[in-house]
Amino acid sequence: MAASFGRGAMTNHWNDIANSDCIMVIGSNAAENHPISFKYVTRAQQNGAKLISVDPRYTRTSSVSDIYAPLRSGTDIAFIGAMINYALANDLIQREYVITHTNASFLVDSKFKLEDGLFGEVKDGAYTKDTWKFQKGANGVIRKDTTLKNPNCVYQLLKKHFARYDFESASEITGTPVGDLKKVAKTFVGMSHRPEKSGTIMYAMGTTQHTHGTQNIRSYVILQLLMGNIGVAGGGINALRGESNVQGSTDHCILFHIIPGYLKCPTAGNTSLQAYLDKWTPKTKDAKSANWWGNYPKYITSLLKAFWGENAGKSNDFAYDYLPKRDANYSHMALFDAMGRGVIKGMITLGQNPAVGGPSAGQERDALGNLDWLVAVDLWETETAAFWKRPGTNPADINTEVFLLPAAGSMEKEGSVTNSGRWGQWRYRAKPAPGDAKSDLWMLDRIARELKKLYAQGGVFPDPIVNLAWNYGDGDEPDPHLVAKEINGYFTKDCTVKGKSFKKGQLIPSFAYLLDDGGTSSGNWLYCASYTEKGNMMARRTRSNLKDDPIGLNQDWAWCWPVNRRIIYNRASCDAKGVPWAPNKPVIAYDRVAGKWRGDVPDGGWPPLLKPDGTQDPKAKYSFIMRAEGHACLFAPSLKDGPLPEHYEPLESPVANFMSEQQNNPVIKIWRPEEIGDSKEYPVVATTYRVTEHWQAGAMTRNLPWLAELVPDAFVEMSCEFAAEKGIENGDRVAVKTPRATIELYAVVTPRFKPFELKGKTVHQVGLIWHFGYQGIAKGESANMLTPMVGDANTMIPEFKAFLCDVRKIGKGGVA
Amino acid sequence: MSRGVLVDTTLCTGCRGCQVACKQQNKLPPEETTFFAKAGGYQNPADLSARTYSLVTFNEVENKNGHFDWVFARRQCMHCEEPSCVSACLVGALSKTESGAVVYDETKCIGCRYCLLSCPFGVPSFEWEKTVPFVRKCTFCFTRQAGGDAPATVNGKALDSEQRARHKETQTKPACTKACHTGALMFGEREELLVEARNRIRKNPKRYVNHIYGEKEAGGTSWLYLAGVSFKKLGFPMHLGERSFPSYAKAAKDGVPHVMLGVGAMLGGFYWYNQRCAEVAKKGE
Ligand code: SF4
Ligand code: SF4
Repeated sequence: MAASFGRGAMTNHWNDIANSDCIMVIGSNAAENHPISFKYVTRAQQNGAKLISVDPRYTRTSSVSDIYAPLRSGTDIAFIGAMINYALANDLIQREYVITHTNASFLVDSKFKLEDGLFGEVKDGAYTKDTWKFQKGANGVIRKDTTLKNPNCVYQLLKKHFARYDFESASEITGTPVGDLKKVAKTFVGMSHRPEKSGTIMYAMGTTQHTHGTQNIRSYVILQLLMGNIGVAGGGINALRGESNVQGSTDHCILFHIIPGYLKCPTAGNTSLQAYLDKWTPKTKDAKSANWWGNYPKYITSLLKAFWGENAGKSNDFAYDYLPKRDANYSHMALFDAMGRGVIKGMITLGQNPAVGGPSAGQERDALGNLDWLVAVDLWETETAAFWKRPGTNPADINTEVFLLPAAGSMEKEGSVTNSGRWGQWRYRAKPAPGDAKSDLWMLDRIARELKKLYAQGGVFPDPIVNLAWNYGDGDEPDPHLVAKEINGYFTKDCTVKGKSFKKGQLIPSFAYLLDDGGTSSGNWLYCASYTEKGNMMARRTRSNLKDDPIGLNQDWAWCWPVNRRIIYNRASCDAKGVPWAPNKPVIAYDRVAGKWRGDVPDGGWPPLLKPDGTQDPKAKYSFIMRAEGHACLFAPSLKDGPLPEHYEPLESPVANFMSEQQNNPVIKIWRPEEIGDSKEYPVVATTYRVTEHWQAGAMTRNLPWLAELVPDAFVEMSCEFAAEKGIENGDRVAVKTPRATIELYAVVTPRFKPFELKGKTVHQVGLIWHFGYQGIAKGESANMLTPMVGDANTMIPEFKAFLCDVRKIGKGGVA
Repeated sequence: MSRGVLVDTTLCTGCRGCQVACKQQNKLPPEETTFFAKAGGYQNPADLSARTYSLVTFNEVENKNGHFDWVFARRQCMHCEEPSCVSACLVGALSKTESGAVVYDETKCIGCRYCLLSCPFGVPSFEWEKTVPFVRKCTFCFTRQAGGDAPATVNGKALDSEQRARHKETQTKPACTKACHTGALMFGEREELLVEARNRIRKNPKRYVNHIYGEKEAGGTSWLYLAGVSFKKLGFPMHLGERSFPSYAKAAKDGVPHVMLGVGAMLGGFYWYNQRCAEVAKKGE
């Protein structure tokens, strides 16, 4: 989504789902895995909204939906492509929105084309991208055709591209009956392309965990932009986060390619702060583009000041040299691959259980045995912590020294949690942690202080550690308020910014006040405004009432990044004159008398593009301020695998790609080609998923007797038709086999799964729950033993959601 | 003023939050379960028991519009208007309270288990595995319902009147209804719930079968159900009639205890009854 809109986060928030007129849940089983979202989905339905569930099998989400459509795992682009084509072919788009807020009118390089499933030349596993660019005028500004007639404009390219995805062709790929596909398209498009109506998409790992996961999301983006559904109440593309604080940890750079606030992690070529800034600060020649990322220098300098305090100054490039420079890909699979090769010698895992959650988990377990030391921090002894005594292993053969540090649970410590909707919410400690269990903050504080002591005695390059600003109080438990304040940031000297005077040591009111001269510190610019002189904004607990806040923004409840803006890209909720498309549920509206926006915090305070008389406002800026071009991207040249989504089969697939000669995403990295399954030997499509009753890799739920009781065993779900073919009955023990492993579990035979018809070929799909492992009260085999080690071309997220297997009965029901 | 719960199975997502909240509220020990194939692998435990007062059942059925559907219907004591368990109990250990709950007083119970036999919904369970067993079933969170006011402060911050009211409301409703986030469980005055149920059917006749289960069954129950499929398909007893069970039983009532209270059972019961009194006394200390 960052490539399309500028930020990679849920566009709206949980409560806002209640404002929707049509909700499509695809690549997600929200009723089961994000159950509380259904509070708002149900509310929307009671106000007349339609709920569409698209899933390979009929789920608990489907059970309360108005329309259910099955699709074969890994074929979202064909499915959504057919919806896009339906909208474009029948001109059911929100045209004015598309012209005003998206890059539909931009003219693309005339040599750009799709041929044999490729968008140009691929060299050494990457596209050369030489035609993925816009035509620019002499002034350096992108050329546009707002009539959308020019054959090189994005709109015309889209039309041509998606014309190939008619309902019938799409249905042959997805296995969705044509009637169901049409019904979904007609309902969603019919309902949500109207300006006063909105439709939302809720997605999760069913979308992303594919070799073309990013492009799956891109297909949603294009659909939603054409419908005029971004920035509006009840609209958006809502990435449902799988853990309570995964948004927070992403914001604070849990991923390897970023540092806090989505700043790029410096790479080997960025040898100085200036070189870094030259490389990553986006530029524009269009005066109407706010190009918010032009503030890069302020954000990185303030971050360096937060890290190294007094030791970061102009004279030493604000300690930029202290930042590690990456020269490789350090995603999950790459790390475990390096561990397997003995390159990585030690690992700390906090609240992670890769022995259950990682792809080809058997190999990840083996890789752990190559470590010299492993520190496992968790509430329980997870499969990862206990890998050395797992079934079939002789502990004497493993040389890894394992340290198990008991951790405090989320209720046993104070701090903030940022939910999927970007709300930072402060939580209090409900009770002390049992025994020796400590908060992760306590542990990291001890490690850092000890490291500082050790490096003070010398080392290869001790400065970054020795000079680290590290002060979170003198108590045994570090003060989470000091951490939160550091994240928000302080003025580091007396100064006047934007006409306001501040004293050294004062908390910064918002990121608009950050400086690039070292006068401010901020541990994460996105969180600047979360903890100010007014207090801890995340601890606010005031509900709004319906009268003053009809769309439930709840602006005084907790705090939301950025700057308490509840719905991002909200300027797109208005036309070019600043008038809301949907007067019944306005997010913001421009107040001509006061000369400012009302409602939610606007995504950029500049006036709307046009004055009431239709003339251009010279002070105006475009609505997508995080993109250098100021427009949302229907055509997104920054991705690795194409500016438009194109259907490719998952790496392991039972059929040829019916769309082109190009079977798979052309720029994916295949780690172990010898382990790819062939559809002759492995004819059945498999996917993995979670159930309500268990949580991720299971440590937190399989250890709880009340939850273990609900789902005590691992199972695989399959259709009655497939089971009959294989002589399997409900409750039988079956073996599921892939080139990576074979595991045994219970069979659930159910009419909720149906075989797919793909161009006359019957293809079966099964689904496994992946929570299980050899530790805890409820034990079972791990589905991830089976999953392949291959990832998305852009994000490297593993393809957990579509692979091939074979299934065989091994025992009667009840036989263990 | 008799309260009840309206269970709208068309809103239920089968999350089982209510089932776990019930265990938590009543501090019920877990059951050692294994994969339960009969109800499609999801439902567990298999049935209500002395350790499981409420249970979400999973039903793969055809709905009234001829479409496949997966329907979740939680089961627990129905808190009958005129409970047969109450009239079957010789010693008055079970009683129907004014607020609607049918409650059990273990200090009175002699362990005869007539209530188990008499209940048309097969609800009460006996702690067979214990040396001193009691009868167990849903209490309608009677003690919660009787709960007091909200505290003055939470996390060191004073609550305003609206927050206090909300706090009290959530803390005094039955735990399952508090846990339910979709609105599938609505707690309130039974009469009002009946009006609400009728309204839902009237406004959305395609969604619901025209039947409020519990309105009339066995003389009416505090818990009421709406569904989009026939209740028969969800495993609800269908031929209970509209008269309460006690009203049928009235005439025969004198005879029943003679039949059941055989001399042997009586003798065997003495030792056990003494044990039980000791246990009850111990608990009281
Ligand atoms: S459902 Fe059974 S146990 Fe509950 S009140 Fe009615 S008769 Fe008594
Ligand atoms: S909590 Fe509500 S939605 Fe969840 S299973 Fe119980 S009744 Fe259904």
